[in-house]
Amino acid sequence: MTQDDAFAADLLRGHTDTIVLGVLRRGDAYGFEIYKAIRDATGGDYEIKEATLYATYRRLEKDGLVESYWGDESQGGRRKYYRITDAGRAVFRGNVAAWTATRRIIDSLLDVKESQQ
Amino acid sequence: MNTDIHRLLDEAFQGVEMTPDAQDLKEEVRANLMARADELEAAGATPSDAAHQAVAELGDVRELLEETSDAAPRRATDEYTALIRRHHVRPKPGFVVRTVAYSIAAVVGITLAILGASGVLPLPIGPQIGLFGMASTALGLIVGDSLSQETTTNHPMPQNRAGGYFLATLLGAFGLGFVALVAFGSLPVWGIVFAALGVIASIILFSFLGATQTNRHKAWTRQLAAATPPNRFEREPDTAARFGVYTAAIWLVTFAVIAVLVFTVGWWWAPIAFVGGFALMMLLLARMLFAPEKSDKS
Repeated sequence: MTQDDAFAADLLRGHTDTIVLGVLRRGDAYGFEIYKAIRDATGGDYEIKEATLYATYRRLEKDGLVESYWGDESQGGRRKYYRITDAGRAVFRGNVAAWTATRRIIDSLLDVKESQQ
Repeated sequence: MNTDIHRLLDEAFQGVEMTPDAQDLKEEVRANLMARADELEAAGATPSDAAHQAVAELGDVRELLEETSDAAPRRATDEYTALIRRHHVRPKPGFVVRTVAYSIAAVVGITLAILGASGVLPLPIGPQIGLFGMASTALGLIVGDSLSQETTTNHPMPQNRAGGYFLATLLGAFGLGFVALVAFGSLPVWGIVFAALGVIASIILFSFLGATQTNRHKAWTRQLAAATPPNRFEREPDTAARFGVYTAAIWLVTFAVIAVLVFTVGWWWAPIAFVGGFALMMLLLARMLFAPEKSDKS
């Protein structure tokens, strides 16, 4: 992994909670669906590690931002589905607003630096 | 059917203490691994390779379980005021102004409509219905607006859901308005059809909203609740059950007394019995929920 990739992966990992909430906003999903949605969105270049995701689910559930329930698959493993709660939606909206504001700041700061070089 | 996954999963969880939490995680991981392995097989891997790769991607499961054992729960009561202060959300001035305006509209609407219905004010039926409509809308707006506000303990409710509560309140209040119009004789008895429609639609909508409601509490409130020691009813289910039976008995007697009072001395005495029943129930609650411990005496 190049240094650029590591930087991007780091940035992405910093927003795992919000990203998972964003995926769940489209509908209930189980772990692998969430993982796949993120992987597909990044074009498979940077993936968020599964271990990170499991830790995220647990934290989100403890904070009441998602709820989980077991699916009724008749064969194979039973899937644990996650559903976003009202609290989760509110936190997601807040995080998106914070991200938009921060992105603007960073964009402007980085542009300043670039023009100085 | 690929059994490699199950064997590899058992190996991965070897040496892990099988708490319910760990068991839960294992089952969740199993389904995800199987889905991943299916995907790899569809891409052309052999079943065995797919299983190995899926498990390898997972990493060490022990790390996942360590994440959960957080820092020791803090003492709840000492920090309660501090927590409240830190998370305090001030009501928005606009919301306060709106609520006052809606309340005035509701009170004015209900008062004028009732005066009109009882014949004190010479109002035709159209404006009476209109006034109840205005009051119900105001009540609905108060409910919907409050739910979509952020509070110290709760996140704001999404707009659609708050809109649902607005509609349910409006329908229910409007239905009750029609009940009043029929009761005062302003509308003929068929007016009760509208009342029933409104109230039933409202009950259905409220039930649906209540059944599909998800958590709105903020994370700090949930952690506080988890750290609070259980109360007596949670520790002693038999005491809680006895409380339930006593409560049922108190209200049964209260309603019997209300009925007796209504048929003997007149209906305006009925609230006395109601207040008496309520006071009795509160005393019972205090006596049973905060009584000295059983084990202390023995």
